[in-house]
Amino acid sequence: MMNKTSLIAMTLLIFMGFFPLFVDSAWLAVGTTFLVFSVVALSQDIILGRAGVFHMGHAMFFGLGAYTTAILNVHFGLPILATWAPAVLVPMLVAFILVFPIIHLRGDYLLVATIGFNIIFIQVLQNDVFGLTGGPNGLFGIDVVRVLGFDFSSQTHMYYMAFILLGITLFIMRNLDRSKFGRAMFYIHKDEIAAQSMGINVRYYKLYAFILGAGIAGAAGSMFSVQYSAVSPEAFNVTQSIMFFTIVLVGGSASLPGVLIGTFVMFVLPEMFREFETARYLVFGIAMILTMILRPRGIWPVRFGNIPSFLKKEEVK
Amino acid sequence: MDIFLQQMVNGLTIGSLYALVALGYTMVYGVMRLINFAHGDLVAFSAFIGLSVYAQIFGESVTSLIAVITVFVFTAAIVAFVGVLLERLAYRPLRTAPRLSAVVSALGAGLVIQNSIMLIWGPNMKIFPSDLFPSTIWEIGGIVITFTQVMILGLSSVLMVGLYFFIHQTKIGTAIRAVAIDQDAAKLMGINVGRIIMIIFIIGSTLGAVAGLFIGTYYRGVTFDMGWMYGLNAFVAAIMGGIGNIPGAMLGGLLLGLFNAMITGYISTQWAETFTFVLLIVILVFRPTGILGETVAEKV
Repeated sequence: MMNKTSLIAMTLLIFMGFFPLFVDSAWLAVGTTFLVFSVVALSQDIILGRAGVFHMGHAMFFGLGAYTTAILNVHFGLPILATWAPAVLVPMLVAFILVFPIIHLRGDYLLVATIGFNIIFIQVLQNDVFGLTGGPNGLFGIDVVRVLGFDFSSQTHMYYMAFILLGITLFIMRNLDRSKFGRAMFYIHKDEIAAQSMGINVRYYKLYAFILGAGIAGAAGSMFSVQYSAVSPEAFNVTQSIMFFTIVLVGGSASLPGVLIGTFVMFVLPEMFREFETARYLVFGIAMILTMILRPRGIWPVRFGNIPSFLKKEEVK
Repeated sequence: MDIFLQQMVNGLTIGSLYALVALGYTMVYGVMRLINFAHGDLVAFSAFIGLSVYAQIFGESVTSLIAVITVFVFTAAIVAFVGVLLERLAYRPLRTAPRLSAVVSALGAGLVIQNSIMLIWGPNMKIFPSDLFPSTIWEIGGIVITFTQVMILGLSSVLMVGLYFFIHQTKIGTAIRAVAIDQDAAKLMGINVGRIIMIIFIIGSTLGAVAGLFIGTYYRGVTFDMGWMYGLNAFVAAIMGGIGNIPGAMLGGLLLGLFNAMITGYISTQWAETFTFVLLIVILVFRPTGILGETVAEKV
C-alpha cells in the first residue's frame, strides 16, 4: 500500500517530470540545478545523515567528478559518455585514499580534516597543477553529450539527464536502506559502540558510505560540468561544502524528503529572492538558527524509531 | 639565517594571534562540545568595531596610550556583549538538541555576523589607522622588529598567562574546569552552569576582540569576510594542540604561526593552506587527540 509520503513523492516526481513543459528557460536552468544539487545533497546524506560521519568537504568530490569530465574532455578529447565512468571512479578512489587513514577519528576532528581536504583541493585547482586544471579561471568549452550522432545539448535535454540521474540516485538510496549496508549504517548512527559490540565493522561501513557518497557526487559533478560547459574552482569551495552539510541538517538527516526540501530551501529560494541580493545571506543565517531552534532534527526528520518502518510488518488498521 | 630568525619573529607574532583566537574555540569546545563557527567572524567584527570606536572617539589622528586603551576596552566590551548575545540566542536553546544542530546554528550565526559587517561597513577593504601604535622599528642583528609586533607578543603573553592562572587558581576557574568535565555533576555541586557558559563566552570574545584589533593593526587592511580564514586557522591550531585544552591552544597557535611563517618564507604562499592542513592531518594520524590532548575514552 502507498502511504502518504510515497504519494507525495510520486506527485512530486510527476510534477518534476512535466516541469519543463510549462516554464521558461531561466526556470528550466534553476530546475536542472535543483536536480543536480539534490543528487549531491543526497550523497552527502549517505555519509553525514546515514553513516553519521561528520563530513564538511563534500564539494571536493562533486568537483572531482566535474574536473574529471572537464579534463578528459578538454585536454584529452574524450567524448562525454566515456568520461562518466572515470568521473564516478576517481572521486571514489580519492575518497578511499584520503579517508582510510583517518576514518577512526572522533567526529569533530574528522570535520576539520574534511574541510582541510576541500581547501587543499581548491589550492590544487588554483595552482594549475600539471597545467590541467586551468588555474583560477577553470576550464571552458566542455562538449555536450552525443550518442550515435545525436546531440543532447538543449536545456530540456540537460534537465531530463539530471532528472534521470536523480531517479537513479533515489533508487540506489532506496535499495541502500533495505540492504545489509543500510541497516548496519543505521545502527552505527544510533549507537556506535553497541553496533561495534554486535560485530559490525564500524570502520568498514563508514568508509563504504564515504566511497559511495563520493561516487554519486562525482556523477553529479560530471553532469554539472556538462550543464555549464565549464568548470571553475569557486563552484567547489568550502562554502559549497558547508551548504551541502547544512542542507542535510536543515532538511532532516537520513530523510529523503528532508534533503530535497533542504536543497529547495538553500538553492531555489535564493533564486526567487534575487532582489534582496545584499541582505540575502543575513536572512539565511537567521533562518538557519531559527530552523535549528524550532526543529532541531530538521524540517522533515526521519520518523522511524528503533526499527525502520520498512522492516516492520504492515500494521493492521 | 637572517630569514630564519626574521620568520621566527613574524611566526611568533602570527602564532600568538592564532593562539588568542584558538583559546576562544577551545574554551567553548571544552565546556559545550560545540565548534563555535561564528567565533572567527566575531574576530573580524571586532576589527570593524575598533575602527568605528577609534573614528567616533578620536576623529582622525590621536596617538596616546589613553586612546589605544580606550579603543581596546570599548571594543572588547562590545564584542563580549555580542558574544553573550550569540550564546543566548543561537546556542542556549539548542543545549539539549543533537550536536550537529548546534553546529548549523553556529554556521548560521557566522553568516549573520559576516553579513552584518558587510551591510554596516560595506563590502570593500577598510584600512586601519596607522597611528594606533608608534611606528618605532628596532633592528637587532639584521632582524626587524616593529613596535606592533612587540605589543602583540607582549600583550598576548600577558593575557595567556593571566588566563592560565585564572582557570587554575580562582574559584570561577575551578568552576569552569568542573563544568568542562561533567556538567551534570557540576550542577549538583551548586555551580550555575548557565553563568559559567556566559563567562566563557565573555572571556573567549574578549580574547577574540583583542586578536581582531591586533590583526587590524598588524595587517592594516580588514575585510568583512576575513574572519573565516583566521577562524579556521585558529581552529586548526586548537585541534593541533588538543581541543578543550588551554595550554594546547596556546602551543598549537604558536606552532601553527611558526610553521606558516616558515612555509611562506622558504616555500611559497600559494600552498600555505595545503601545508597547514597536511600538518594537521599528519598530527591527527599519529596523535588523534592533538599534541597535548589526553587519550580519554569516548563518553558513552
